[in-house]
Amino acid sequence: MNILEELAQIARTRPEKLKEERKKGTKIVGYIGRFVPEELIYASGALPYLLCRGGQPEPPDAVIPYMLRFMSPYSRSQIGYHLLGIDPVVPMLDLIVVQCSDCHESRLADLFEYFKLPTVRLGIPPDWEKSLSRDYYHKELARLTDRLEALTGNKVTEQKLRESTESINKIREILSKINLLRKRRPPIGGADFIRLNHYSFYGDPERLLPKLNDLYQELQKGGSPFPKEAPRLLLAGHVVGVGDYVVPRLIEDSGGVIAAEFLDEGMRHCQWQVKTDGDLMANLGDTYYLERTPPSIFQPAWEKRAETMKGLIRDFNIDGVIWYQLSFEEIYDMECAIIAKEMGKINIPFLKLESSYEYSREAMAPLTTRVESFIETVRQRRV
Amino acid sequence: MARDVYEDFLRLTGFEEEEMPEYLPEWRKASQKLGLTEEDFRFAVEKQLPTYFAVELEGIRKLLGCFVKETIDLTRAGDYKERGVKIVYGILPAVLHFYYALKLTAPDKVYVSFPDIFLTLVMNGLFHKLAPYLEEAERTGIPYGCRHCALNKTRYAARRLDIIPSPDISWIWGFICDEGPKTDEFIRLYYDPRWKTYITRLPHDQPLGTVEDEVASRVEYLARQMRDGFEAAQREIGIKVPEEKISEVIGIWHRYADKLSELARLMTADPQPLGAISGRLFWEPLFCPFNTGIEGMEKALDITIREIRQRVASKEGILPEGAPKLLIYSIHPSVPWVAKIFEENGVGVPLSEFFILTKKQLMPPSFDDPYMAAAEGWLRTSAMVNPGYQSEQICEKLETHNFDGMVFGLMDFDRWLGSPHRLLSRMVEEKTKLPVFYIEGDNWDDRDYSLEALRTRIESICEIMKMRKA
Repeated sequence: MNILEELAQIARTRPEKLKEERKKGTKIVGYIGRFVPEELIYASGALPYLLCRGGQPEPPDAVIPYMLRFMSPYSRSQIGYHLLGIDPVVPMLDLIVVQCSDCHESRLADLFEYFKLPTVRLGIPPDWEKSLSRDYYHKELARLTDRLEALTGNKVTEQKLRESTESINKIREILSKINLLRKRRPPIGGADFIRLNHYSFYGDPERLLPKLNDLYQELQKGGSPFPKEAPRLLLAGHVVGVGDYVVPRLIEDSGGVIAAEFLDEGMRHCQWQVKTDGDLMANLGDTYYLERTPPSIFQPAWEKRAETMKGLIRDFNIDGVIWYQLSFEEIYDMECAIIAKEMGKINIPFLKLESSYEYSREAMAPLTTRVESFIETVRQRRV
Repeated sequence: MARDVYEDFLRLTGFEEEEMPEYLPEWRKASQKLGLTEEDFRFAVEKQLPTYFAVELEGIRKLLGCFVKETIDLTRAGDYKERGVKIVYGILPAVLHFYYALKLTAPDKVYVSFPDIFLTLVMNGLFHKLAPYLEEAERTGIPYGCRHCALNKTRYAARRLDIIPSPDISWIWGFICDEGPKTDEFIRLYYDPRWKTYITRLPHDQPLGTVEDEVASRVEYLARQMRDGFEAAQREIGIKVPEEKISEVIGIWHRYADKLSELARLMTADPQPLGAISGRLFWEPLFCPFNTGIEGMEKALDITIREIRQRVASKEGILPEGAPKLLIYSIHPSVPWVAKIFEENGVGVPLSEFFILTKKQLMPPSFDDPYMAAAEGWLRTSAMVNPGYQSEQICEKLETHNFDGMVFGLMDFDRWLGSPHRLLSRMVEEKTKLPVFYIEGDNWDDRDYSLEALRTRIESICEIMKMRKA
């Protein structure tokens, strides 16, 4: 069994492991969104579980009797699997922390509460450059800490928070190293790197870390499974959910290689480490809210995000950008026009793909044709 | 001699003969800027206005006249800007006190408008001709397929088509949807670098059922956001508004709102004395600032109340006595035929839930500070809060006005206001046991949900209501 498969196995069996832990009295905390620090959950003695599923059309549809159908299929999926009775984890969660940075997430929180699931919201003001908003996020983290302490009966001490922060930092560090290997001919493509990020959320850090280190060593030594002439692509957008691997796989099966990602959710954003000296809570808040590239919903954000993308294009020697967008995500839809314009200015080919998680045979044929044509166009520009 | 449809239009909208020399050339000029043709005016005069607006009433004609004057004024905004007048925009929903207070402080130095909602109402409501604006936006970066809001498209298109100038400040209230504020960022980056914005936001993070106006920290945070935004707007345009001006505006607002409450009471009389669309027009200045002021509308409202009182006294109605009446979440004159189909099928939708007030909203604020008072008022408003609290308020309104049921929907473009309607339907039905319906549709833009497409749905609702009441 190769290391990736071992990590996949750990992630696959995570629900069973959580069930065992729960029987022993450990609290299980589900969470949604990049602004919910895992570090806090670990420091409280609970085990985190990222709710980030996607890629199937039925779960979002299951939500339609309760919600407008023009909402993000990704957000709808987070409760849709549960409504269909096929989510093994949500029913056993002791708490679900939902970040509320946009309407899609907040409406999802409404539904969790309507269905009497134990929910706490983490308010994220999108006007992030104001001190008023920064203070708000810091207070929200303090409130979440109180809630976690009440749930677990454990105090989030400085020592515990430092340990959990150091532990997650190590995961970020090794993922960052693996990511940087892709600056040359990638030893790992985006389809696998995205999965790797996902796996990193579904295992105990002490179990994951040695395997990630082994993987790094192996990738460092090994060659690339991609031909030299494979166009190097940047995959950008909101999120590739856990299980939503059709598009990344299709891109790489069509002759391209995803050499970098620019995704707001479902990734570790591993280039940012949380400082472990000084006021740890303040560090956590600053890194999560201020230091990382702002998500699309933040305002202002798009100018900075376009610059970040240009940096990735330069650093990872990108030949083309594929914008992967989910249906009815109105903010990403507008951002797409901005980014397409910016890519036009620097003469980088740009393809917008939109998905409602409908990957039937009928839907796949035109999708495949578009991806193949784009990759062919990019390839021809390279020669 | 051929009829002058422009003149006919002005007569139908309450202009007196002696006003014609002043307004006719201005109105022609404004129409040209908006892209309205003689054919559009013929359609408005012969079909749209007589069908959907009670132009037989002097008050309604005068009210429409106020919209015409504001339209002329809007098309002059570019000239104002050239003359050094500061241009301030916003989007709905917002607390208008701040915008009106700017105007009250420096009437000749500032121009205030929410151009998108105003243009949407005029172009679609009076002429059914918003589509060219929407298509302009859709061609140039805000695609059709994602169900973007027509208001945001209109704001963007109005700038692209040079109907409105860049603002000195667009103070955007992002207390509801995300798309409204982000559209301003879009306009600045994609088309107009001079489109200056200040953004004010509030996370939607309150648990279901929280009485948000009683959560002190929330009221305080919102008040601080409002103060921060208003101070930024004042700084940007160099106009300092004394707090007493805000208080003065609140006084005017309350006076107008009291009269609206009287109109709301009359609208629910049996038989219903006035069509929903005509009545609904009077709520507009509470949600969209009029640079020309609200005095004209207040006079029109006084006249209308008098006229409707007479209708109520003589039991004159647009529906038979005893007709079922439904509370509708929101109906807007931009798509006037929705209410009309209900009325043609013997069911009244006299009031929009969004616009009528609960008992608590009519209570004086708990705070003297105008920002705290505004924040508290905002958090007392059903549409601005979590669905648990919202449903409680809706139930109160259903009971207060003795409605037979409720209609949600027609807000499918709005990921905040429109997204919980199915959930609210369940909550309200569970609590009141009244029939609650949901119509997927769009309040501003009827290209997708045409009259014929929705007629069957509305007719079915009406049949059910009449059978229940029979």
